[in-house]
Amino acid sequence: MAVLFPLWQIDRKEYDAICAYLELTPNAELFGRLSAHLANAPFHFPCPEGFSRFLAELRLTRFRVARLDYFTKLWSPNHPLRHALNGVVALHECDAAGYRELAAGATGRAVFPQLAVWVLEFLLRVGLTVPWLGWQAIRYTLLMPFRPHSSLASRRVLITGVSRGLGMDIMLECLERGANVVGVVRDAESLARVRALLPVESPVFLLNADLARPGELVAALQAAQVQPASIDIAVLCAGVKHDGESALALASLRKTLEVNCLSAAEFAAWFAKQNAESHPASNPSLQPSTGSRMQSAPPDRGVRYEPRSLVLISSMGRWHGMHGSGGYNASKAALSIWGESLDMELRQSSDPRFAVIVVEPGMFESDMTQRTTLTKLLFVSRRDVARRIISGVLAGRRSIRPPAWFALLTWGVCLAGRGFRYRLFARVKASRKE
Amino acid sequence: MARIVVIGSGVSGAHAALTLLERGFAVELWDVGGSEEAFPEPVATFHDLKSRLLDPVAYFLGSDLRALVPPAAPELMRYPPSRQFLVSERHALWGFTSETFVSYGSFARGGLANGWGANVLSFDENDVADWPVSFDEMQAAYKTVCARIPIAGPSDDDLSPYLREVSPSQPAVELTATDKRLLRNYARRRTGLNRDGVSLGRARLAVVTDPAREDACCYCDRCLWGCPRASIYNPAISTLTQCHGHGGFRYRSKRFVVALLASGGRVTGIRYLDTETSELREEACDVVFLAAGALQTGAIFLRTLKQVRPDVAPETDGLMDTAFVKIPYLVLGSIGQPHESRAFQFNRLILGLIGAREGWPRYLHCELLHLTSLIYHPLIERIPLDSRLSRRLFFSLKSALGAASLFFPDKLTSHNRQILLDGPGRWENVRLHYAETTEKEDYIRTGVRRVQSALGKLGCLVREPVRSPPGAALHYAGTVPMGRGFKRCDSKGRSNLFANLYIADGAAFPSLPSKSLTLSLAAHATRVALAARF
Repeated sequence: MAVLFPLWQIDRKEYDAICAYLELTPNAELFGRLSAHLANAPFHFPCPEGFSRFLAELRLTRFRVARLDYFTKLWSPNHPLRHALNGVVALHECDAAGYRELAAGATGRAVFPQLAVWVLEFLLRVGLTVPWLGWQAIRYTLLMPFRPHSSLASRRVLITGVSRGLGMDIMLECLERGANVVGVVRDAESLARVRALLPVESPVFLLNADLARPGELVAALQAAQVQPASIDIAVLCAGVKHDGESALALASLRKTLEVNCLSAAEFAAWFAKQNAESHPASNPSLQPSTGSRMQSAPPDRGVRYEPRSLVLISSMGRWHGMHGSGGYNASKAALSIWGESLDMELRQSSDPRFAVIVVEPGMFESDMTQRTTLTKLLFVSRRDVARRIISGVLAGRRSIRPPAWFALLTWGVCLAGRGFRYRLFARVKASRKE
Repeated sequence: MARIVVIGSGVSGAHAALTLLERGFAVELWDVGGSEEAFPEPVATFHDLKSRLLDPVAYFLGSDLRALVPPAAPELMRYPPSRQFLVSERHALWGFTSETFVSYGSFARGGLANGWGANVLSFDENDVADWPVSFDEMQAAYKTVCARIPIAGPSDDDLSPYLREVSPSQPAVELTATDKRLLRNYARRRTGLNRDGVSLGRARLAVVTDPAREDACCYCDRCLWGCPRASIYNPAISTLTQCHGHGGFRYRSKRFVVALLASGGRVTGIRYLDTETSELREEACDVVFLAAGALQTGAIFLRTLKQVRPDVAPETDGLMDTAFVKIPYLVLGSIGQPHESRAFQFNRLILGLIGAREGWPRYLHCELLHLTSLIYHPLIERIPLDSRLSRRLFFSLKSALGAASLFFPDKLTSHNRQILLDGPGRWENVRLHYAETTEKEDYIRTGVRRVQSALGKLGCLVREPVRSPPGAALHYAGTVPMGRGFKRCDSKGRSNLFANLYIADGAAFPSLPSKSLTLSLAAHATRVALAARF
């Protein structure tokens, strides 16, 4: 099983490191079961916070497992490492060879000197752990202001375009943070693919809607009886890009504008209108969800009302034209400007209903980008982009442009003038053809 | 001839039916009638299964690993996923809810007795001092059921005075080296311990141990995972087989009884769900013996009461449960002993605490379980050291590790009861209202301290006790107790409200002693069936 939730799941090398630490022989079949088991952990256990989370993000090596083991047992019993260690012991004790290894040890009087050696080894491990943890605490203190993290426990997030790319990563990030998700995919085939990929216990409700068809998203939500008041955050991530097509290819241009921009406007209109009718301020019986799936939540649980957000995934490409990508960049420009305008309109009203957040990611791994020498240098991890987007939304930011250096670079290119941009993007286009 | 229906095929139902059949009546026995898959590899030991089974992980933890106990979970073990007799709140037909009380039941043939820990204990005059029962009648019933159930144990030891009605018919189960060490330690300090009111003895167990018998225990160490040779007594196997030997016996499964039909102070029929077709049906009958388990019996009674007395609050007069505390310990002298590959998995020793505490039975029951085979990861995770040292320590000390399970008695209170809920379903669910009294909490603290002190004197290093939530011990009683009032039954189990209804299970107990219930359930059912007049 692929690592969907890196905070909880471990890969094969990390499993090998745990086995080496516990003096066990790795077993591929047991690793597969452990991986599938840990993939469901985000849906059952609280997401670690603060320093504990910082430590959970470290890649596991034998050295780190030895350092983290005792600390987590004493101070963080629900830490992801505890689930991994406990799971390895549980699975290996069910296996004949694994049990023999676990139960190996001296008997009779030889037990006592062996116990003494083990205790000394343990004390040595503790001795090494204390300064290492001190160093990690310093790193945490220095780095965490730049890596804020908030939980999405008990919150419901609607995400479009979850079948692949950034939409998929945003969905996984939300699930890892404890959200329950309403995911929208284009067709039944994508829906089946996503369902097969996700762990069985994922709190995800999948909907099928082709955003190229006007009104289909809203119709699908209504048909599934999704109440807008039950959604805390809506992330409109679905997008199309017709690479290499002329800016005059009208059919592609219309479809691009429909999916990338107009569907967002349709959704927002429905979202705002429905909110006006059923906003928690005017109707306390309609409150945001608290973790149950779809409309099963009882209406009068008295949960705290959280600010709600409409997140529009635009692109840094919205700041400039580009060879063979005019429709996409134009649609993203329209989305960014329209989103900002909607936000102004809502903020001006006495009842703002929800915040509009415009996200303009830079270069990252995407199905819509091609791997070239230049893009390889500029790539950031797609999951990291998803993490920064969700953290930014929860921190209340109105504009999010991960990574920041790419935004500065783009604006620098824009300031350099059209002639420079023409030459630069022509070179990029040529390098892509190679 | 009167149509007599016994509801429930657990130990109470089976013994009530057999007694009635022996009296010459025709009897129908109704239950849901679930069954478990055959237990694999009849002779293989617990650890042998790990190499013999195709998928040992699925067998020990479940294919979805649901028996894997998470690191911060309070429990020390989960019930084997391969056992299918137990139902809880998650089962569609299990209509009990509670915030404080975990409730379990069984829809399998044989009921909760499928998971009986095999401890055979009898109540005595002191245990039933507040029961409106002649103890002579109970003695006769104990004699009858002891003849029906194989009992392995010593003929005489320090516990014999408190288990007078238990007559072993099989050799006692073999002990492990740690068991023997504890007994030796006890013999050395016996006088002092007895003075403190502590007696240690061998468990009386419902298991065939006579090697001449085909179904004799082979010490495969799999009692909890289901005895593959049927050596441990199970009413679904032995008593129901005896029932089938009578011409007047009719077993009718796939019937989940919802309520009784009644008019004019008599039960006239039974409303049940046909679990095969999911249809609610009604059938007429002349006499009913309720033996569906204290919780279900109480629920059936309440639904019936609601029909005939809508003016009365649909609540039982009681609900009792034995509070359950585990105390882990280490037998210091057994450290370094090699693991034993074959053993009887359930407890082989019993610690009896004797000492009058006003208002409670004089005997407090404690089972000493020394680890032979189990799924160990929750225990390793519980050791407050890193996993590497915890694992090494655990397996080095395993043969010296034990757990004392203390069962505390209970009494009827006005607070603890079953309450019938209104609802849109096809029948009403039941809320279980339960909280321990301050008096009982104090009693539990004292009992735990006494056991800790006794274990210390027996050469053990004792750790902090682990308390299970109410309901976890599966010893429920007192939902239609003996006593005065139309929500109760008389001393012979006959309902005070319906002249032809008998409460044949633990629902009729007006107090709950500390001792394991099962033998007394069989004896009560037998006594009720013997005394019934119709």
